[in-house]
Amino acid sequence: MLCETASVRATRSRAILAGLLVLGTVVLLPTPSHAYAGPGAGFAVLSSFWTLFVAFLYSMYAFMTWPFRHILRRSRRRKAYGKAQVKRVVILGFDGMDPELAGRFIKEGRLPNLAKLEQQGTFRPLRTTYPPISPVAWSTFMTGTNPGKHNIYDFLARDLNNYLPYLSSAEIKEPRRKLKLGKYTIPLGKAEIKNMRGGTPFWHWLGNAGIFCSVIRVPVTFPPEKFSGVLLSGMCVPDLKGSQGTFCFCSTRVNNDKFREGGVRVPIERQNGICRSYVPGPDDPLGTGKEMRAHFKVKPDLARNQAHIELDTESFTIKVGEYSEWISVKFSAGVGMSAHGIARFYLKELSPEVSVYVTPVNIDPGHPDLPISHPVTYSIYLAKLFGPYATLGLAEDTWALNEEVLDDKAFLEQAYGNHNDREKMLFDALEKTPEGLCACVFDTTDRVQHMFWRYLDDDHPAAREVPRDQRPTVIQDLYARMDDLIGRVMKQIDDKTLLMIVSDHGFQSFARCVNLNGWLYQNGYIALKAGKAESRDWFEDVDWSRTKAYTMGLNGLYLNIKGREREGIVEPGAEVEALKAELRAKLNGLADPASGNVGITGVFDCDAVYAGPYVENAPDLLVGYGKGFRASWDSVTGRVTTTIFEDNLKAWSGDHCVDPRLVPGVLFSNHKIAEEKLAIVDVAPTILKLFGLKLPGNFDGKPWTVNTSNLAKTA
Amino acid sequence: MTPLVRHSVFCLALGLWGINSPILLVLLISVVIGFAMVIVFAYTSDQKAIGIAKDQLKAHLLAVRLYQDQLPVVLKAYVRIIRGTGRYIRLAFKPLLLVIIPITIFMVQVDRYLGMMPVHAAEPFLVKVQTTGPDALNDVSLQLPPELTISAPPVHVPADNEIVWRLVATKDGTYDLNVASGGQTYAKRVVVSPNVNRLSPVRLRDQFLERFLSSAEPALPASSPIQSIAVTYLPRDIEFAWIEWNWIVLFFVLSLIAGFIFKEVLGIEI
Repeated sequence: MLCETASVRATRSRAILAGLLVLGTVVLLPTPSHAYAGPGAGFAVLSSFWTLFVAFLYSMYAFMTWPFRHILRRSRRRKAYGKAQVKRVVILGFDGMDPELAGRFIKEGRLPNLAKLEQQGTFRPLRTTYPPISPVAWSTFMTGTNPGKHNIYDFLARDLNNYLPYLSSAEIKEPRRKLKLGKYTIPLGKAEIKNMRGGTPFWHWLGNAGIFCSVIRVPVTFPPEKFSGVLLSGMCVPDLKGSQGTFCFCSTRVNNDKFREGGVRVPIERQNGICRSYVPGPDDPLGTGKEMRAHFKVKPDLARNQAHIELDTESFTIKVGEYSEWISVKFSAGVGMSAHGIARFYLKELSPEVSVYVTPVNIDPGHPDLPISHPVTYSIYLAKLFGPYATLGLAEDTWALNEEVLDDKAFLEQAYGNHNDREKMLFDALEKTPEGLCACVFDTTDRVQHMFWRYLDDDHPAAREVPRDQRPTVIQDLYARMDDLIGRVMKQIDDKTLLMIVSDHGFQSFARCVNLNGWLYQNGYIALKAGKAESRDWFEDVDWSRTKAYTMGLNGLYLNIKGREREGIVEPGAEVEALKAELRAKLNGLADPASGNVGITGVFDCDAVYAGPYVENAPDLLVGYGKGFRASWDSVTGRVTTTIFEDNLKAWSGDHCVDPRLVPGVLFSNHKIAEEKLAIVDVAPTILKLFGLKLPGNFDGKPWTVNTSNLAKTA
Repeated sequence: MTPLVRHSVFCLALGLWGINSPILLVLLISVVIGFAMVIVFAYTSDQKAIGIAKDQLKAHLLAVRLYQDQLPVVLKAYVRIIRGTGRYIRLAFKPLLLVIIPITIFMVQVDRYLGMMPVHAAEPFLVKVQTTGPDALNDVSLQLPPELTISAPPVHVPADNEIVWRLVATKDGTYDLNVASGGQTYAKRVVVSPNVNRLSPVRLRDQFLERFLSSAEPALPASSPIQSIAVTYLPRDIEFAWIEWNWIVLFFVLSLIAGFIFKEVLGIEI
């Protein structure tokens, strides 16, 4: 090794000497030959000069205006930091971290850093929201209010005119102005995007008071709102198709089955040894009704077990069982219009059939076609600093694993790849936010627990064939990895920083499915059209004129109310109240005939749970599934089947969309918190109180008493 | 390779045959060299590393803007910009090393066409002869073809060991004037033309590097009492965009523009 190093050093020295000699020769030659270096030197010199020039311009602006901005900030700081108990708050959001598991693993010695926090600071369960679903809980986390005040009750809401679902967190509308030219409709302007979440995130109040905030990947922050700080949008950012993640599986294998969830099959056509396929993209903005496509070729190299893939924009080589880097994908619509995204390709097999998995096409953070950060340049800054990264809200492709397109290893590689990118963003934000708020949410905990709980459960139907001693310790490893991250963060912070680890909910096994629509049908609350014994997706075969109640999404149960739903039949007032009471009585304690276990441990009247201006958008009842149970895959998408209870055989084997009392989240802190019972709705008021700000009047949460006696006050 | 063959190959290689417009020549050469430089960059540089280095620079620039109210962060960003610039220049160094000598040789050849203008008929020009010592000055004489005439007596400059004649050409052509000294004659080519031509302003004894840069003629014999024979061709200015340019400066600017255009079209990182 030493010889090699010396040899490398010698070679480098010779190269440097040769270079210096050549340059010296040029320099010593008469003047005209300086320019003989011409474009070669010119490119490097100009590019470098330009960078330094721009940096100089920025600096002149920054330094000349700095005194004025400093005075303004100081006057605001007197308001903000004057009564602050802390200099900086760092919040790590570990989506879905479970207090029971955390406690168990701490006792087993797997989590030394969390153990330290428990000893020296605080570890408590954190009461979650009704229902305990990420977009709901994180919206409550950031606004300090119940869903009646922030309007997020589930991933999906229902359209009262047609009973179809729409994304509850954001609305994307086509541009209003268009120009019709023959068969083409040319959009004039940008798409209109609206954040449907109500309430004000607590970082807005901090920003208004002059406290800088870095907020990374907190769910339900798309589109990003303006405030004083930087923010990268998280869960609910769509892919380029406008969906929450549609993967594509390109294969020479003939298979006419459609994927149940989240993906499309695309054929690969093989001709003369070259395979051709495409990545489906967004709809043609010129109004032709077709989808745009990015075509690619696959040239197999069987000898090396790899393939060379060529798109319009790039070409690359990957081996079987490997992912590519993030690849630019361009969809051209004509008339100079195009959409740009990034995707990763995974070569699943090469012989005898060729199969390629392509991740959902993410919005390119370096050239975002939709706003995914505030300011717009923040996502570009992160992309330039660290390279392209996943921008899709649900970036880890659980559907591909659920549909057996990816195996466990490929999924984990994808998930941890995204996780590593997130860590880089976190540590950059920590460095750039020496004062103020730094909040970063990690989704890996949620995704991996969803997909690998089967190995933790003794008798999960999706893993019965795997002997106990051969079960991979995926979740144990996951918690250890998060603990290691906490350790590294603790090394970066000083004792003037308050550290909190927060999760939005916990986790339980999802071993048995409850098809609530099936139960409603069998008990006369749902009617089907004549001749139908079941209904397809989204109530396609439901007779609304005779249907009193239905469920869609994960926990919501809706009554078909007259005057509210398009074909409602239940009279508002007494009939609604009576129906609610009847359903609650029948469903509460519903037992699984196979085991006698209670499938539904609570049915909650939303009128009693929620308060605020958005209560009319809430479901009528919230169903709290018992330990081991959850809404069935069919029920979530509005299907009506004859089976009520059945095994969950999918890889998605853990869940939290159950009775909220069963899945609290976690709260760890490096300082003592006096209160015993903590709730996620209390985080926002606590943060504002710690920074010495007055609490807005609409908060539902109560601020905690944090012992900050060893945190120095700022001036 | 004889000078004529070299000249022909050169013209053919650049498709310059028959082109007499200096601005067109500079334009053509700039486009060709700009393209060639970009291709050389593509094949000899670490494109990925250059892309990353440039992206990192952009990131640090954006950091100055994003975190402008936090002085320590801004100052750190500046340090990183300077370090990043150094890294980028190091990466661009390798392709530069490879092309600098060929480009220099090429430019020397082009300078012979575009750096100076041939003598015009009926316009006076100077011929300077430098001897090895003052004694040889008295022994030097000029033998001219009929188309060249002396328009003023020679001027001796003993301090520089120089004699200077003023001559006039009566018509266009390529002529050899002979300088006689010590019983030997030494020829010097003179080009009289309104067009672009390959010129050799000086014929030298020894001085390899100077000959490489300035002379297109064989060296004077080592034993010759004549150090150099020079013809004062006027420097060429090329009008472009209402400005008079030295061709090298114009080439530099145009080749850079061409290079940046090609790099965008070909997707090459520079």
